[in-house]
Amino acid sequence: MEFVLEAKQLSKVYQDKLALKGLNLQIRAGEIFCLLGQNGAGKSTTINLFLGFITPTSGAAYINGLEVARNVTEVKKYLAYIPENVMLYPNLTGLENLALFSSLAGFDYSKEELMEYLVRSGLPAEAASRRVGGYSKGMRQKVGIAIAVAKHAKVLLLDEPTSGLDPKASNEFSELLLRLSDAGTGIFMATHDIFRSKEVGTRVGIMREGELVDVLPAADLEANELEKLYLNHMHI
Amino acid sequence: MVKSIAKKEFVSTLRDSRFVALSVIVLLLLLAATIVGLHSYKTLQAERDTAQETVNDQFVSAADRHPHRMAHYGSYAFRPKSSISFLDFGMDSYTGASVYMEAHRQNSANFSQAQQSSSLIRFGEMTVAFVLQMLIPLLIIFLCFGAFTQEKETGTLKILLSQGISLRQMAWAKIAGYSKVVALVVAPALALASLLLFGRGGFELGGDVVIRLLLFMLFYLVYFFIFIVLSVVVSALHQRSSTALVTLLGIWILFCVITPKAAANLGANLYTTPTKAQMEADVHEEVAKGIDGHNSQDERAEALKQELLEKYNVETLEELPVNFDGILMALGEEQSSHVFQEHFDELTGTFEKQNSISEYVGLLNPYLAVRHLSMGMAGSDFSHFIHFQKMAEQYRYNQSQKLNHIQATQLKYGDKETRLSSETWKDFTPFTYETPPAGWALGNHLLSLGAMLLWLVLVSTVGIRLIDKTKVA
Amino acid sequence: MKIFRILIKYEWLNFRADKGLLILTALTLFAGLYGIYYGTTEIERQRENIAALDVLTEHNVEEMKVKFLGDADAGDIGYYHSTFAVNHPDSWASLSLGQRDVNPYYLKLRLLNLQSQLYDTENINPLKVLSGNFDLAFVLVYLFPLLIIGLCFNILSAEKEQGTLPLLLSQPISLPLVVGAKLTFRMMLVLGLALLLSVVAMVWGQVVPDVRIGIWLGVVLLYCLFWFGVAFLVAALQKNSAFNAVTLLGVWLLLTIIIPALLNVYVAVKQPVPQALELTIKQREVVHAGWDKPKRETMNKFFAHYPQWTDTTEIQGRFAWRWYYAFQHLGDVAVEDLARDYQESLQARHQLVAQLNVLSVPVNVQGIFNAMAGSDLPSHLAFLQSASRYHDSLREYYYPFLFNQVAFTHADYDGEPRHSFTSSPDFATAYSGLVKLVVSVLLVYAVALLLFRVKEASVK
Repeated sequence: MEFVLEAKQLSKVYQDKLALKGLNLQIRAGEIFCLLGQNGAGKSTTINLFLGFITPTSGAAYINGLEVARNVTEVKKYLAYIPENVMLYPNLTGLENLALFSSLAGFDYSKEELMEYLVRSGLPAEAASRRVGGYSKGMRQKVGIAIAVAKHAKVLLLDEPTSGLDPKASNEFSELLLRLSDAGTGIFMATHDIFRSKEVGTRVGIMREGELVDVLPAADLEANELEKLYLNHMHI
Repeated sequence: MVKSIAKKEFVSTLRDSRFVALSVIVLLLLLAATIVGLHSYKTLQAERDTAQETVNDQFVSAADRHPHRMAHYGSYAFRPKSSISFLDFGMDSYTGASVYMEAHRQNSANFSQAQQSSSLIRFGEMTVAFVLQMLIPLLIIFLCFGAFTQEKETGTLKILLSQGISLRQMAWAKIAGYSKVVALVVAPALALASLLLFGRGGFELGGDVVIRLLLFMLFYLVYFFIFIVLSVVVSALHQRSSTALVTLLGIWILFCVITPKAAANLGANLYTTPTKAQMEADVHEEVAKGIDGHNSQDERAEALKQELLEKYNVETLEELPVNFDGILMALGEEQSSHVFQEHFDELTGTFEKQNSISEYVGLLNPYLAVRHLSMGMAGSDFSHFIHFQKMAEQYRYNQSQKLNHIQATQLKYGDKETRLSSETWKDFTPFTYETPPAGWALGNHLLSLGAMLLWLVLVSTVGIRLIDKTKVA
Repeated sequence: MKIFRILIKYEWLNFRADKGLLILTALTLFAGLYGIYYGTTEIERQRENIAALDVLTEHNVEEMKVKFLGDADAGDIGYYHSTFAVNHPDSWASLSLGQRDVNPYYLKLRLLNLQSQLYDTENINPLKVLSGNFDLAFVLVYLFPLLIIGLCFNILSAEKEQGTLPLLLSQPISLPLVVGAKLTFRMMLVLGLALLLSVVAMVWGQVVPDVRIGIWLGVVLLYCLFWFGVAFLVAALQKNSAFNAVTLLGVWLLLTIIIPALLNVYVAVKQPVPQALELTIKQREVVHAGWDKPKRETMNKFFAHYPQWTDTTEIQGRFAWRWYYAFQHLGDVAVEDLARDYQESLQARHQLVAQLNVLSVPVNVQGIFNAMAGSDLPSHLAFLQSASRYHDSLREYYYPFLFNQVAFTHADYDGEPRHSFTSSPDFATAYSGLVKLVVSVLLVYAVALLLFRVKEASVK
């Protein structure tokens, strides 16, 4: 049980198109893995495979040592997920949405505790008791973060989590990720954002046409170097 | 630019396989309904024609009889179906087909289709009118619900608007395009119906039938147009296709399923229909005792007797040059018919009041308006039924009085034996029924006609103005 | 199980916050209450009208007593005096009026030829009967499916379209559990409403509490389950909300309107009823020919049916009441076969519908409701037969007076038989309908579950 997230020869074929080619990857507790790549490179496919939303054509994905495809429901106890665009029940308030998802995950928080999670994720307290229908994208994103944080999961799966957040919120988000990683959460983040990857990532992977073409320790790199490397991989 | 949008809607709809499939189903149903309607029309009409011929023959070839016996023998009126009722059965299935016409008695119209069916008939009948009234609007909704919402969802609305076209122009362009599609679905069926009607159906090619048919089609075209504009407007007021669709389906259910039934039921609850037993008892009472409780039957007979004795200056009834029996009978017939007619008119008035609720609701619901107009043109509405009943009653009255007259002039007082030759009955013209003209039929539905025009004007002014309010961004 | 409860709780929160759904539910509730009100008022009115007939009969007797002050000839009484055959509604009729508004619920009878009186109609507003009854059965058969469709058409697609499904499924719960919870919540709501309305209708209509309470509630439950099954089946196709709405409404239209309308056509062609007009014409011909036939011939024919009067005196003169009533009755005898044929054809029509109703669950359920309420064609035919028997007993009451030439005294009015018939439920139809309903429900769920298995669940 060394790795909280693992992929072994993980592949996915859609009709004739090979979306993911034999991905091998291990992420330890406390590690932040940033996956860079263009649209359609296979980042979302990878995340969906870890979430069990799609089944692999071959190979396997593991969360906390459990094979995802065989334990679709079970693995979700150990992971939290923030989609690119967090969508919530528009007729419920932010607080009610958080309460719903936390209770589904098996947590029975008091109202004060829920409020605390929301506020810590950056949602203004007065907004928490308004209906989500009136929220901006950033506000919904913060509720999404609160949902993920409140789950205290071993693995956090992020799909372009900062798109749509303003710079200040983005910074706060980075700090949050670092805090979570210190607490031992393994984080897998698909992103376009080279600079933030460099800033928070433990390792940075580059994906092209379904293939993980390079993995580098982020600490070894300068930001512009990473960008050059990334562009190199894209244009060959 | 408007033309090109209309064309785009037309072409892209025809390329939508789901819509084409639905249209083909509706078209097939429409054709099936036409053929089924015609078949049922022919069967019923033949049945009634045969029956009418039989009773007519029976009357003219009846044995030698006493005239009053002949009056009781009476005749029948079988209601002929109006020639375009095969497009809209309307109330025909619920109204009686035969009236027995005899002396002193006004009988009910018996043997309606509904009485010969189990409750299955209450689910509705497969007629052209049913397809036109209920299914085509549904097809229109399916065709138009995404008119604006789809453009919003895909973002093409902004691009179109940036080309310098206004929302209103776009709305009209779409309406034009959709109208063409609907015409494509409906036209073949209406053409077939006309062909069947005039081609070889054996109908009389009366000008009146042509007018009725043309008005029938015109009303439906207006009805479809109202639904098209309504759907486009609703689409413009919504942001998402699914909510626009659900709203439109809700409107359809309210228009076509709930309100027609509720309005008819409410009418019947508000204005109580007297039972036939009560009505007959009242008529009997008034005939016997006189309408105002004075001048009873016996008093009237006595007065008539005195009047005649004085007039002819004789002492006894036997001495009269005319047969008192026949004259008294004629007077009785006149009195009872008069009283019956009053009660019948009152009953008809009650029904009309009940039905007026439905007609007024037509102001809120174009389905009801077109339903009334359609039945009116097809000759299967309430007024046509009442008209038939009145004609039958008129014939009954005249026949009875003619026989009373024969009795009064050809037979002696107190003569219950003499049988008149069978030749006498050949003088009687058999019952025939002419459907009243189209103008008369339309005149009965002015309120529905007004409702239809009101809707037409409302959707094309207020409705289109609402489109300006649509949120683009 | 805890998760299930949580899901249901949030379905409730979502439902409570959705104005559209609240309006839809309130409308259905209101429609149901109106249906109950309408049904009970309608039946109450029929009861009052039937009660008023007694007054009319009494009135008529009074009139007779004045007209014939002393002893009267029974022939005169039979001619001028009228009584009523009445078809009392079953206590359940207010829940499902069926054909009780189309068919007359009483018949005015005189001692004359029966067939000329048996088919008289009541004062009916044709537009009203064309539009049909807004009774509880209508609300349950037509409107409840629409409520279910309104609640369920986007049961899964809404989650996809508003984008909440990925987040929901990233929790440790499975898709079937989510759909199951949503369906359960809606079922509780709809069934609660349907059963509540049914119970209200039963109390309001003061029904006789018997096994029908169980059957009715069971049918309502199964019928709602059937429509949930249809919604479940369409949801299993995993299409968008618009597709679901159109498909579900299409199914509704097909089952409640198009198939019944086509069945109607089929029944009319397959089982025509041409006898009616023939019957009415022939009956007149025979009765009126009676005047012209030798009296001896007529009487002999009559005595063949009623040998007990054979020895009565020879008819003298132009007219005698017993001869008159004899040929009136012979008119009925002459068309006996036609009349039986006619009623049998109608019965056969009903039978045919009962067979064909497997094609449409709503037709089947309406049939069950009407059968339980005793308001369909068979019960009317039973009434006609009962009225015929009553007419027989009337004749048999008068014949001794006529043939023995006994005077009819004022006291004899009291001895005259009176008629009362109450529609009775048709349990055979109800039970066979119930079996068909169960099969339909099982079939729908089997197909839906199969589809859910076959189709891979997709999140987007």
